[in-house]
Amino acid sequence: MTTTTTQIAARAVDLVKTYGSGGTTVQALNGVNVELVRGEFTAIMGPSGSGKSTLMHCLAGLDSVSSGSVSIGDAELSGLSDNKMTALRRDRIGFVFQSFNLVPTLTALENITLPMDLAGRKPDREWLDTVVDTLGIRDRLGHRPSELSGGQQQRVACARALASQPDIVFGDEPTGNLDSRSSAEVLGILRSSVDRLGQTVVVVTHDPRAAAYADRVLFLADGDIVNEMRDPTEARVLDLMKNMED
Amino acid sequence: MARRPMGRVSIRNLRAHKVRLILTVLSVILGTAFVTGSYVFTDTLKSSFTGIFNDAYKGIATHVEPAHSYDAGIPFADLATIRRVPGVDRVAPGVERPAALVDSKGTKVASGGAPSVADTWTVPADRIGDPTRFESGGPPTRSGQAVLNAGAAHKGHIRVGDRVRIVLSNRPVLTLTVSGIYRTKTESGGYIGVLLSPGQARQVLSDGRHYTSVDASAKPGVSEQELTARIAKVAPSGLTVETGTKLRDDTNAQIQTALSFVNYLLLAFGFIALIVGTFIIYNTFSMIVAQRLRELALLRAVGASRKQVRRSVLLEALFTGVIGSVLGIVGGVGLAIGLRELLNAFNVGLPSGSLLLRPRTLIVALVLGVGVTLLSAYIPARRASSIAPVEAMREEFALPSSSSSTRRTILGLALLVLGVVLTVLGATSSSTSHGSALIGAGLLGVGGAALMLSPVLARIVIPPIGWVAGRPFGRPGTLAPANAVRNPRRTAATAFALTLGLLIVSGISVIGASAKGSVEHLFDNNVRADLVLTAGQQGTVPQPAIDAAAKQSGVGSMTQFHLAFGLLDGAEEAGSGIDGPLPAVLALPAVSGSIAPVGNNLVASESKARERGWKIGSMHTLTHPGVGSVRLKLVGIYQDSQLAGAWLVSGATYRALTPANERAAEVGLIRIAPGADLSQVQSRVEKATNPYYVVSVDTRTQFKGQIAAQVNTLLGLLYALLALAIVIAILGIINTLALSVVERRREIGMMRAVGMMRRQVRRTIYLESFLIAVFGALLGLALGIVYGVLFTKLLKDQGLDVLVIPWTQALAFLVVAGIVGVLAALWPGVRAARTPPLAAIVDA
Repeated sequence: MTTTTTQIAARAVDLVKTYGSGGTTVQALNGVNVELVRGEFTAIMGPSGSGKSTLMHCLAGLDSVSSGSVSIGDAELSGLSDNKMTALRRDRIGFVFQSFNLVPTLTALENITLPMDLAGRKPDREWLDTVVDTLGIRDRLGHRPSELSGGQQQRVACARALASQPDIVFGDEPTGNLDSRSSAEVLGILRSSVDRLGQTVVVVTHDPRAAAYADRVLFLADGDIVNEMRDPTEARVLDLMKNMED
Repeated sequence: MARRPMGRVSIRNLRAHKVRLILTVLSVILGTAFVTGSYVFTDTLKSSFTGIFNDAYKGIATHVEPAHSYDAGIPFADLATIRRVPGVDRVAPGVERPAALVDSKGTKVASGGAPSVADTWTVPADRIGDPTRFESGGPPTRSGQAVLNAGAAHKGHIRVGDRVRIVLSNRPVLTLTVSGIYRTKTESGGYIGVLLSPGQARQVLSDGRHYTSVDASAKPGVSEQELTARIAKVAPSGLTVETGTKLRDDTNAQIQTALSFVNYLLLAFGFIALIVGTFIIYNTFSMIVAQRLRELALLRAVGASRKQVRRSVLLEALFTGVIGSVLGIVGGVGLAIGLRELLNAFNVGLPSGSLLLRPRTLIVALVLGVGVTLLSAYIPARRASSIAPVEAMREEFALPSSSSSTRRTILGLALLVLGVVLTVLGATSSSTSHGSALIGAGLLGVGGAALMLSPVLARIVIPPIGWVAGRPFGRPGTLAPANAVRNPRRTAATAFALTLGLLIVSGISVIGASAKGSVEHLFDNNVRADLVLTAGQQGTVPQPAIDAAAKQSGVGSMTQFHLAFGLLDGAEEAGSGIDGPLPAVLALPAVSGSIAPVGNNLVASESKARERGWKIGSMHTLTHPGVGSVRLKLVGIYQDSQLAGAWLVSGATYRALTPANERAAEVGLIRIAPGADLSQVQSRVEKATNPYYVVSVDTRTQFKGQIAAQVNTLLGLLYALLALAIVIAILGIINTLALSVVERRREIGMMRAVGMMRRQVRRTIYLESFLIAVFGALLGLALGIVYGVLFTKLLKDQGLDVLVIPWTQALAFLVVAGIVGVLAALWPGVRAARTPPLAAIVDA
């Protein structure tokens, strides 16, 4: 259990992201200000084109920002070289994508330790065992991704995200390709990583049921945060979304 | 406007995939350029040479020459007989002899591979064909004057009035004043033709009794055949009397044969390029189709038929093929020009006619270039057309792959068994020609098997090499070998360019190194001479030079080898005539009898004696038609020796059968006197032979070095082949890696997202490429060395009795292949490293 709930894991200040140039400019983020609290599970929601994915990409150092600033912990992202940015993603951020999470030529275990292997670091065995056992994938470690089910693949991806004990774990529609049972498993894993391990998790989703696992839900529309909800339930999220559309 | 929508899509796609198509076009260009270049080069040479000879032989109705090169020729007296034949218009006799030309400054004028001869000036009254045209000066009017062809004059910077010298086999060097420089219609690069006044020519060039050839023209109304038949009736026996047409045809046929080697070699380059080009084109179109799956599916969804989709891909291939072939034809013409210039820079002496681009060349190049492109693009095109319209809506794409790897492996194994059986049969065959044909067929089988099985081999060979090579690089180091065998068929196809190139190069380098080693071994173990006198590759050492060398102080003994041709008991045979002590310079173990070729003795090699059933004490006749014959007694049989040849007779026998003007030594071997200083003797002998210009005096070490240098020059050609294989391999590797990078875009993006540095991405690609290249090279080296050894063993009786495997060279080839792999990966590596991490998530 953690006691640093008030600390900020990631922050965006006046974040603007525009695509294209000249007459065809599209403003995806319109001066977003947000603070993501350490040890919390945050869900980002919003309709298609609201900028929810762009916000996550910018916060996670996957995409550059047009103006404003983004920081992970005490590290300011804007102005970092590609190498520093890559090292930051590798060492301080965990990722769970919707698909294409795993390298097909590596085993599940090799995929889990990939960020640490890339850094040339030895994984913490004890922690690795904890993660692997918590996720229930011990008997799958020697398998290649093609030998795993979709749910198993996402659990391995979660294990990779958690194994390096990152400052923050980002999920981009992590359950988008899963059936409801596997979805519940993966979300349960992320939830318990927050509760039991004190992890910080940010998930982009369009699924109210997924958002209900979070401590806090941020609603985006037209490139800005328009609403926020704490301790959401599926029904309240659905209600709010309906209201937003009206 | 919109009548051909799919055609428009094809053209727009070509524009959109420029870089990739450049690679494809390049590979088509390479292939067609070599095919075109080969035909243009040889066609041009053939037509130039044909032009030269047709010009030189113009107007000749009948040509008379001795039946054998060693025959005396046409007796002087018979010239009048021929002149009297009814229907004869003009008669031109020739007394052609090989001669070296030395310019006024005392430098020998090089002819390269072309003939360097002295002949008689044909007076205008006897001249057949067009009258001689002079660039400057005029005909030789008296003894001591000569005319030169313009090419030789320019090469030696010789002008009218200059004093030049010519070196003949058995005469003091002749000094002549140039009275004129004549033009030949098509000047061959190296040809040297010195024409002496008729009187002097007969005196110094002939044996005093015979012409070497006689040409006759016919009076109007008399046909070639008629005239030839009439002359044949009166000509003495032992002469060949043929029509001018036959003479021209025979000469042209000889040219064709001589040039066919060049033709085949260049065509081989072209076909290797095209075979590898097939893979490149296949890869490129697979890649384009893979990238456009969604677009193609959309086209299908909005109503394009399968046929239209297939056609649109094939149309792209057609454009690529046509552009590549046309550029290749242009490049081929350039290649032909370049090759001629290059060879002429080495004084090979090729005629400089205008380039000949026959319609056949254009058709073959276009059909091959376009055909190969279309054929290679066919499978990707079919795959493209098999995409269901619904795929446009799907998130993920998987290319339906046509997998028949089991069938391929079985076919490969069958070919391997067949190849090995043929090879073993060949290697154990007693006949060299049978054996080499069998081993050659076996090599084809095993080579085909290697291509079929190399996907399987790649999976076995690459991981351990990758494990070793990748260790210093951590995780990227382990990803590379895995990636290299992910699509083993593609890896195999890519590596095949290097496999093929290195197979040929390493095979021939084994044979070359063995040839060098065998010659050196032979020389070390059998030659006891201290100094060797020779006169270049084809030349003979003038007799006076030998005589002068033998007189120098410090020369213990001089042994001469003369080339002795003739009819031995009626069958044409070549052996040597020996002057001087044999055991002093050559180790020649006797099998039976005594092996001293003195007086009227004949000694023969073991195999020659066996072949002809000769026994010690048997009597034989050696005949030179028109000169004489000698009765010989077989007194000894020696162990087969490359240096001694089939049989030996005495110098006296040689002289009895060889006209004085033709006598010369192939080689002179000197043993220095006990206590004499080698370098002093060498410089004295050099000084004594210098006035003959053509003689080189070498110590054993120097002579061995010269032989090695000759083999090396030949092997140099191989490096050109290797260079080509490398260029093609680089194209292929770039292509394959570019394809892989495109296919793995999301995967690379994902690895970038979770923390793979750009340099780590690059290293992974470099290492993958390195492994592909090394795999291809290893396979080629292994096969090349094995077959090089087999061919060497087969050629044991031809003198390749020492087997040398050039390991250092093989290692160098492997290193070069590795470097090539990394170089080829530079661009794809950079491209891959530029993949944004977002590529993992969105189609960025």
